[in-house]
Amino acid sequence: MIEITINDIPLKVEKGTTILHAAQANGIDIPTLCNHEGLTLDGNCRLCSVEIEDMGNKKIVASCMFPITRNISVETETERVRRARNTVLQLLVNRNPKAPIIQQLCAKYGVDREERFALEPDLCIRCGRCVRACEAGGTKAIELVGRGFDRHVAPPYELETDACIGCLSCATVCPTGKITYEETPGKRKIWYKEFDVLQCKRCGIYFATKEMLDWAGRPENDRDHCNHCQKYIESVKFLTESQKK
Amino acid sequence: MRFDTLSDLKNYKNEISQKQDKGKEIWICGGPGCVANGSMAIAEEFIKALGNKSSSDENTSLWHSIKVLIRPEEKETEKLIRTGITGCMGPCENGPVVHVEPDGLYYQKVTVDDIEGIIGSIKENIPYKAKAMSGLDDKPAEVPSAENIPFLAKQKKIILGKMSTMSPLDLEDYIAHGGYSGLIRALESMAPEEICNEIKASGLRGRGGGGFPTGVKWESCRNSASEMRYVLVNGDEGDPGAFMDRALMEGDPYSVIEGLTIGAYAIGSSEGIIYVRHEYPLAVKRLANAIKNLEEAGLLGTNILGTGFDFHVEICEGGGSFVCGESTALMTSIEGKPGVPRVKYIRSTERGLWESPTVLNNVETWANVPHIITNGSEWFRSIGTENNSGTKVFALVGKVKNTGLVEVPMGTTLRQIIYDIGGGVAQKRPFKAVQTGGPSGGCLPASMLDTPVDFDSLTEAGSMMGSGGMIVMDDRTCMVDIARYFIDFLVEESCGKCVPCREGLKKMQMILHDLTNGKGREGDTKALEDLAEDISDTSLCALGQSAANPVLSTIKYFKEEYIEHEKEHFCRSGVCQGMFRIKIDEEKCKSCGLCSKNCPADTIEKLDSGKYCIKQEGCIRCGACFEVCPFSSVDIVNEVIDDD
Ligand SMILES: Cc1cc2nc3c(=O)[nH]c(=O)nc-3n(C[C@H](O)[C@H](O)[C@H](O)COP(=O)(O)O)c2cc1C
Ligand code: SF4
Ligand code: SF4
Ligand code: SF4
Ligand code: SF4
Ligand code: FES
Ligand code: FES
Repeated sequence: MIEITINDIPLKVEKGTTILHAAQANGIDIPTLCNHEGLTLDGNCRLCSVEIEDMGNKKIVASCMFPITRNISVETETERVRRARNTVLQLLVNRNPKAPIIQQLCAKYGVDREERFALEPDLCIRCGRCVRACEAGGTKAIELVGRGFDRHVAPPYELETDACIGCLSCATVCPTGKITYEETPGKRKIWYKEFDVLQCKRCGIYFATKEMLDWAGRPENDRDHCNHCQKYIESVKFLTESQKK
Repeated sequence: MRFDTLSDLKNYKNEISQKQDKGKEIWICGGPGCVANGSMAIAEEFIKALGNKSSSDENTSLWHSIKVLIRPEEKETEKLIRTGITGCMGPCENGPVVHVEPDGLYYQKVTVDDIEGIIGSIKENIPYKAKAMSGLDDKPAEVPSAENIPFLAKQKKIILGKMSTMSPLDLEDYIAHGGYSGLIRALESMAPEEICNEIKASGLRGRGGGGFPTGVKWESCRNSASEMRYVLVNGDEGDPGAFMDRALMEGDPYSVIEGLTIGAYAIGSSEGIIYVRHEYPLAVKRLANAIKNLEEAGLLGTNILGTGFDFHVEICEGGGSFVCGESTALMTSIEGKPGVPRVKYIRSTERGLWESPTVLNNVETWANVPHIITNGSEWFRSIGTENNSGTKVFALVGKVKNTGLVEVPMGTTLRQIIYDIGGGVAQKRPFKAVQTGGPSGGCLPASMLDTPVDFDSLTEAGSMMGSGGMIVMDDRTCMVDIARYFIDFLVEESCGKCVPCREGLKKMQMILHDLTNGKGREGDTKALEDLAEDISDTSLCALGQSAANPVLSTIKYFKEEYIEHEKEHFCRSGVCQGMFRIKIDEEKCKSCGLCSKNCPADTIEKLDSGKYCIKQEGCIRCGACFEVCPFSSVDIVNEVIDDD
């Protein structure tokens, strides 16, 4: 265990714990955007910046990425941290004024959009959560392409891709609502690609695309029911059989 | 040529060193500048003039030998004469350069018409006056040898030492010039730890910009437990205008690989990768040729020189973006992914390429290693200053008389480099600033010219050593515009991963574009300073962390220019369009009429008084009159100021 302080509160943490986790476990609030517990770390939004003192050096680090390996003291509300955080939010709201999460954070920290530097509004903050979610599923259908200011999310060559299975994981983890899709009974459209969505023969919900079941390796003769009903049918079967015995 | 044991190689070295008469050598510069000026055609003609048919393909880079008559003191002796192509010799401004050995004579701006003369002078054993390189006072030197040529005399060429006298293709040449003494010493008499200690003791610091102590890096990698370790060469060289590493890889590839081999032995690695930007196809070719020759000679591969040490080297061609030079981006790129930096709270020496401990050093850093191991750390420490030992190679460019590649001991002042070696500002214009450190560096004014060039002094002055670009600027350079230029470059080159660099530099660019377009607003300079601080505090990698340096250093030393751009919408350097006007000061005009002769728009008229005057309607604001007036009677004034 390593002894640290966060905002002068002494804490003991496991070696390798990130500052963010240590803070959260102790009820200290640090805003985040690109970080998502289910995904790999990337550290690109810099909103979670905190100031640490490490062997006499004071510096700003991304708390979601920084592993605690030594006795350090962490401050989450110094003037320098506030400036770092507000600059990040300021830059984001100039480009992403309509993203509800940005609006909410800006309201919380008192940041306004600057008319002079207002850029063409876009919802995407390039946090890459969608890309990492897709990667986590093993599909890798979308990527961050382009350099610098032009960086954006797209499937390869910005075209419909076989790799996408229409699982909507990307849209689910997107913090800004940038990724949209169309859903009508039996049809789904995302990333330029149209999918047939199978209907559960028992409860009637549209439960998965054919491609999702292909990806999961579910046999062709076993695609009539959604997960929920599948389980229900199996347990009924199990009960009937055990009663027979 | 194959060396299976250490003694094979030692015997071979002995043999060549005992070879007495080496004959005459004509070396033609094959560096990028001279090639652009036609040096390859000159080489062809030399070969033909000496009576040989040039062979196909690589002919201009290969060498051959023929016999000619030489006449020292009326005595005719038969001598061998050899022609060959080298890497960059340094004085690129005055290329094509031809260098004659063993006399050590340098000829500049050589054309095909000089070939006969040069060969004749060799036969006579006298210098060829017509194209002798300039000595003091800009006149051709009587004897144009390095010590008589200020550009060369004031340098200390260790890293570039061999480059004017050997073929970069030829392993024999490299060995004959002392090559592989370092590896012999390392393998024969030093334990790997001792090598790390020797490098530590030498005080060698990374030449890629950061100046991190190389020996410390090696030791930390050596001490990281792992099966696999990697040594990497950073040959990305993305700074605009820089060509030091390119010159080394093209002109002396063996020294980089020898250094890498010693490093691999020291840290316990068997895999090396040289990362070269793909815009450097010749460097790739030369390195590949060197690797092939070294493998054949048994100096790379398995069981090197019978010592049981295995080491393989590969070349990886990089995508060629500036950010790929950043250590984590470079490794990500080698791994086959887009070259985007990673958050680096764990050192590469613990977890680097493919998650294995890795040492990444700059091309020039590696090239220093054989010299240190051969001559010892004490020798190395005797060059340069206390905390900055050794030399540094610079690409001296911009508004300086003698542009080119220079190598000086650390601690040499900017003034010595720019004036004693570089010959001062081109066209004798006033000096305004010198930019070092590339896009992460800064601009220093005349008052800082006595700053010693070393990692610490430059950083303290608000600039950076960087990898060795040095751009001289005269009074027709607008410092706000220079900052705009670098920020434009960085906006293009930012990978776009993190918010402060991607969006923050864009915002900075918008302010700088306003300032240089006459739309500056009150408070812009302060806004730039604040933004600069925040971007460097919060960016993910060193590109963003240092991106604001060009802005901060120009604000630090040229604040009045920023304020003029911000408040008066005036550019005193006559660069930012629409923000100045050119005017002749009648009082000062001496009626020489030079301005009028040089005006491309023909808009300068002679008044009845004999003085000259610019008809503003026709003026395109090119500044030619300002530059040619010998009496400084032409002024750059604010566009909006009325004539009095
Ligand atoms: C944006 C950026 C670009 C860089 N480009 C180069 C480069 O072209 N060549 C280089 O040797 N180092 C470059 N560096 C420095 C490297 O990250 C690294 O520090 C260096 O290669 C380490 O070698 P050294 O210790 O021998 O200098 C760059 C750093 C940054 C942040
Ligand atoms: S919907 Fe397509 S792009 Fe999105 S996470 Fe699923 S597979 Fe990837
Ligand atoms: S689409 Fe959403 S999740 Fe993906 S990078 Fe943009 S904001 Fe982040
Ligand atoms: S600082 Fe710039 S170059 Fe570095 S990771 Fe961030 S966006 Fe990319
Ligand atoms: S600035 Fe150029 S165009 Fe104008 S008067 Fe001078 S030389 Fe002529
Ligand atoms: S949440 Fe830590 S950098 Fe984005
Ligand atoms: S290219 Fe010939 S001297 Fe540099």
